[in-house]
Amino acid sequence: MITIDGSEGEGGGQVLRNSCALSLITGEAFTIDNIRGKRAKPGLMRQHLTSIQAACQISTSDCDGLEMRSSKITFRPGKVVPGEYSFAVGTAGSTGLVLQTILMPLIYADGPSRVTIEGGTHAAMAPPFDFLEKCYLPIIDRMGPTVSAKIVRHGFYPRGGGKIVIDIDPAPLRAIDCMDRGELISRSGMMKFAGIPFDIAERMIKASRKTLTDWREGAFIYRDLPDSEGPGMAILFEAEYENVTEVVAGFGKIGVKAERIGKSTAARIAGYIGSTAFAGPYLQDQLLLPFAIAGGGKFTSVKISQHTLTAADIIERFTGRATRFSKLDDGTHLVEVGG
Amino acid sequence: MTTVISFLGSTLDAAKFGPSRWNKWRPSVSICMQDDLKVDRFIMLHGTYHQRLADFVAKDIADVSPETEVIQHVLNFDDAWDFEEVYGKLLDFSRDFEFEPGQEDYLIHITTGTHVAQICLFLLTEARYLPGKLLQTQPQRGQPQPIGTWAAIDLDLSRYDSIATRFAADTQESTSFLKSGIETRNAAFNTMIDEIERVAVRSRAPLLLMGPTGAGKSQLARRIFELKKMRHQVEGDYVAVNCATLKGDGAMSALFGHKKGAFTGAVQDRAGLLRSADKGVLFLDEIGELGLDEQAMILRAIEDGKFFPVGSDKEVQSDFQLMAGTNRILMDAVAQGTFREDLFARLNLWTFALPGLADRKEDIAPNLEYELERYAEREGQRATFNAEARKTYLSFATSPAARWSGNFRDLAASITRMATLSIAGRIDAGDVRSEIARLEMLWSGNGADNGTDTLEQFLGVDAVATLDPFDRVQLTEVIRVCHRSRSLSEAGRTLFAASRVTKKSSNDADRLRKYLMRFDLSWDDLQAAE
Repeated sequence: MITIDGSEGEGGGQVLRNSCALSLITGEAFTIDNIRGKRAKPGLMRQHLTSIQAACQISTSDCDGLEMRSSKITFRPGKVVPGEYSFAVGTAGSTGLVLQTILMPLIYADGPSRVTIEGGTHAAMAPPFDFLEKCYLPIIDRMGPTVSAKIVRHGFYPRGGGKIVIDIDPAPLRAIDCMDRGELISRSGMMKFAGIPFDIAERMIKASRKTLTDWREGAFIYRDLPDSEGPGMAILFEAEYENVTEVVAGFGKIGVKAERIGKSTAARIAGYIGSTAFAGPYLQDQLLLPFAIAGGGKFTSVKISQHTLTAADIIERFTGRATRFSKLDDGTHLVEVGG
Repeated sequence: MTTVISFLGSTLDAAKFGPSRWNKWRPSVSICMQDDLKVDRFIMLHGTYHQRLADFVAKDIADVSPETEVIQHVLNFDDAWDFEEVYGKLLDFSRDFEFEPGQEDYLIHITTGTHVAQICLFLLTEARYLPGKLLQTQPQRGQPQPIGTWAAIDLDLSRYDSIATRFAADTQESTSFLKSGIETRNAAFNTMIDEIERVAVRSRAPLLLMGPTGAGKSQLARRIFELKKMRHQVEGDYVAVNCATLKGDGAMSALFGHKKGAFTGAVQDRAGLLRSADKGVLFLDEIGELGLDEQAMILRAIEDGKFFPVGSDKEVQSDFQLMAGTNRILMDAVAQGTFREDLFARLNLWTFALPGLADRKEDIAPNLEYELERYAEREGQRATFNAEARKTYLSFATSPAARWSGNFRDLAASITRMATLSIAGRIDAGDVRSEIARLEMLWSGNGADNGTDTLEQFLGVDAVATLDPFDRVQLTEVIRVCHRSRSLSEAGRTLFAASRVTKKSSNDADRLRKYLMRFDLSWDDLQAAE
């Protein structure tokens, strides 16, 4: 039984999600107490419940203390059962975060699965669908399995109501190294908006172009989604390289000027393009889990986040594999997951 | 499991169809968007007229909270601002709803609905017909935003520390008030007062105070009334009467009033005590002395609030709380047929037995101070004991020799005598010694008076008639001591206390047994009669 202090490190839902995934894979039970101990509203929130419940649903596990505001849970993992699952998460839940909890266990299972998740697909505080589809899953595929993702409906914060379908064809994960992103193939921007006047979308794109001056005009695409999926807007930039595609996103928010969001999101993709690191900030902490399960591997990345350090800690607790971080001469960071 | 019960807000929950509705705070939807509140069931109360809005809102709730089951409950009001109608229909709803408070949490949302509906929900929640907490929601300040905030209000005030502290202080104040500010130390008495305090501020049911004469029944009854008045529980007056004074023809008329001309001498209408106590408190002291006819009328008056004044064929009403006092064991009176069993049953809901002063020896000292205060207030002159006098008085007052047969009445009189007779308000040892002598005389006189009854109880009237007065006094005292003692030996030690000191050894118990045998009495005879 592994005991985790839920208030340590970054101390959020990520610890819960990673622990559930690792527990299902390693067969190691765990207890987390003091859940979100340092937060204003401590204890389990709705979105955490949903993720842990999903982990229970795809397996024969059981979990004590699974209720709202609970400060302690004990998770005893069972066998992961592949198959067709569907989950619906409310306002605060993100489809991506549920997937983060169950993807690795289902990849580790002994048969294919199809998972339908309803909820938010494009919201701050969670990787947007486009990131999963273009950046994260292709690397997972390169490690062995075949995972494909399809978006049926967009769901913006706070309404949610989106829908994604993930097909998982398991295969053992191979250790790979991701040191070099390769040559730049393309750069593009996409403005997804629903139930928002076009001129606001246009203002966001125009502001971003002041930063991305060398991007050609045709690289910016508007995608006017049905009103019924709104309201919401997301600006997404994509930099496609031979070995990796980075996706960054900015989300429209009431009270924040469209121009500001366009400008700051553009600055983030420009920053990535300007460096030589393989993994951007989203990918950085998400790669640790598959790498550790695969038995090791290394990649280069941008500045190491608190999220990543916390994930590395939890992974070491379950697998005994330590992650080493070092700074390279070109300003990027080397992340080595122990073999 | 969390269930929310909420009215559909015909204005607050309404919005334009289209994406802009998600920028608006709609309380029903907002409840289901909170990240720290999981609603498993949402009971949406609405009228038929708002069916479309209800469906629309239910669909949006399903979007933002797939884990919530929305149950629409149609509740039509002819006038949603009519208190009687709204309360009645919500009461029916509450009674029909299958609550499982052990397994589910209920949140009663009071932000939507008419103000009348909100008031009714509050009242039903407070009365526990709706066994939950109140739920309040409000939009967030600043930018338009759909989620807003929520707060649950638990009406169980004891759960709030600062409020509970204030309540404790209030209770302390009220119990102290009931005890006239006297810091009583007798545990049984204090517990009883705590109970009376709770009953007094919560109940309007009849209340029965039992206890010997002078134990403070009527004073306590008046204090209870005053406490109720302070807490706005009664508006009317305090009307007290000793039923022993209501003998004969005048009793009915005094209690229930009469019509002019009802009988000779009824020259004017008379309201009667019951009507004077309307919306107040009627204290019937020595209720055991009340005649059977009066008892029947009183019973009807407390059950229906109605009765006939003497000579009137029109019923009158009076809404009063009945308190009664008695120094008799009413149960015995019921057995003997002198007290109605049904009236006794009504009175016996809140029965408190006030102990006599002899059973509250530890309270004599605090009461001594209180009586001195009262004397000072009454006479405008302060009297104080000197240390030795106080010690002597208290040691006598708390000894077995002090019988306090008149209870607090005796104590008050005793203090008044000493204070009045003292020179310049200084009560000294001499004053105390004279007072002790007076008390002893008073109580020994009482003993002789009561003695005949006691002796007749054990020996029968004929046997007592053959006894010399000399033996009567002696035997009465012996029986009295036996009653106070737990064993024959203890009684022997008390009775032969002086000779025990001089004799090396003695068998007091044997000596007592032999004495009793002279009158054909045994220890067991005396115990059986208790």
